[in-house]
Amino acid sequence: MGLFKMPPQIVRLVLLTIAIVGSYFVARAFLTPASFHQYGWFRGNALEELASYQPVFAGKKSCEECHDDQYQKLMKGAHKGLSCEGCHGPSQAHVDDPDDTAARPKKEPFSACVRCHEFNPSRPKWHHQIVSRTHYSGNKCTDCHVPHSPLDVP
Amino acid sequence: MTTEVTNIVVEVMPHFEGYVYPNESGQHPLWSVLIVLYPYITGLVAGAFIMASLVRVFKVRALEPVYRLSMLTALAFLLCAPLPLLFHLGHPERCYEVMMTPHLTSPMAIFGFVYAWYLMAVLLLELWFDFRRDLVAWSNVTSGFRGIIYRLFTLGVTDVSGPALRLDDKIGRTLSIVGIPSAFLLHGYVGFIFGSIKANPWWGSPLVPIIFILSAVVSGIALCVFNYMVLSWVRRRNTDMPCLDIMARFLFYALVVDAAVEGLDWIHRIYAAEEGFQIMKVMIREKLFYTLNLGQATMGTLLPLLLLGSLQLLRKRVPELIRRRMYFASSALILVGVLAMRWNVVIGGQLFSKSLRGVMAYKMEFSGMEGWFMGAVLLALPFTILTVFIKLFLSEKLPSAGHGEPTAARG
Repeated sequence: MGLFKMPPQIVRLVLLTIAIVGSYFVARAFLTPASFHQYGWFRGNALEELASYQPVFAGKKSCEECHDDQYQKLMKGAHKGLSCEGCHGPSQAHVDDPDDTAARPKKEPFSACVRCHEFNPSRPKWHHQIVSRTHYSGNKCTDCHVPHSPLDVP
Repeated sequence: MTTEVTNIVVEVMPHFEGYVYPNESGQHPLWSVLIVLYPYITGLVAGAFIMASLVRVFKVRALEPVYRLSMLTALAFLLCAPLPLLFHLGHPERCYEVMMTPHLTSPMAIFGFVYAWYLMAVLLLELWFDFRRDLVAWSNVTSGFRGIIYRLFTLGVTDVSGPALRLDDKIGRTLSIVGIPSAFLLHGYVGFIFGSIKANPWWGSPLVPIIFILSAVVSGIALCVFNYMVLSWVRRRNTDMPCLDIMARFLFYALVVDAAVEGLDWIHRIYAAEEGFQIMKVMIREKLFYTLNLGQATMGTLLPLLLLGSLQLLRKRVPELIRRRMYFASSALILVGVLAMRWNVVIGGQLFSKSLRGVMAYKMEFSGMEGWFMGAVLLALPFTILTVFIKLFLSEKLPSAGHGEPTAARG
């Protein structure tokens, strides 16, 4: 009966506190990911979740199956270490259905070149670098360079 | 090259001088202007609360006209305090996750606990006990949407008898006493986040939390002076000069202590002259020249000290109008100065390399999530919320509200 002797404002505050704390624990029960704390302070199934995603990159070997000529050219030049999809973008959809024109990788943007070749002091000295603003006033890197075989002239 | 590409390239290349690690040369400071605003707003909350507690705990009766304004100021700014962090981190839709999986060993995550304690257990409770009598009275005479709000805030308790009000007053005072260390905890915590980073000579000092608290008290009182004067001007009411004089006196005292401790910190740094000292000299003389020497030291500290200090000696000889203007100028200068101080701490600590032999640059963008515009919006937001609070809870049309004094069932 002690509760009823408490002043009304205190009773109301106690009830409100119980409601707030209670709703927090209810929300926590629903919103905490199920595998949290399984191994530690993270979601235990995070890796399975990542592995379940549908891959969007097909890999260099898939490109070789149809584009053998370009592949051979690339593998002889200085860019042989690069992946096709590094410049052309993800191509799993294109590999799955080569006839679907919408799924074809887009023409590579020029930023694909400056991503690696724009001057940046943190890059090693042997790496070819340019200051694109003063390097060329034209529109395309491919006017003068062949990305699949960088030492060739178009 | 297409102009789009060249423009991007020119803009993203940051500038640096001296020996800078490669990973530092290619990026802007991670903690941008939003992280400058976070300690600034939190400090204003703590300071405004300390200002209010002068009435409640230390019985400075002359300050009663600004008691409720200070409390509402603290609440309005506290509601906005986590917003800079939220916007800076991105993905605001995930913000509930930090509460669902509370982490007890991360200093950053402790902010959730400190904030929740201060908002729910201290500020809202104390405001409720302070306003309860008036809320009951207003809910009886107001109809419509306002009436619903007042009735909602009474939580259905309409008992305003003598013993009930005496209990309210007692609990309110206890909460105020608990609130002082809580306000220190709130802002001391923010200082601790910087002060505990021992790899950074600009931040890593045990004096940083203390400096943060003291500058918070200074900025909070300045904000209350500023708000009170603006509110009086908007309402075309005369300012209560004895109240303003006492506020300015406390502002002066707080500023003296703050300036002394910051001076002590600098004397210690200069005398110890540890390994980071050379780069600090570069920061003071070049990188932070305007914000530190002009903004923080001259505008934010020396000028207000001069203005407020001279008024302590010559108060009776200076006419009211001049005094008011001097108080207003001092409070505005202090508010700018403390913002500059937060800038110097947050941005300054990121402008030099971990090699301690080179400096980087920070150029604030205008638009975007971390730009000037967003900063201005975040600074204006608490004032907007405060305006709504004033309309609701300090309205002159309501009975017994006025500027407000502690409800206190006296007698």
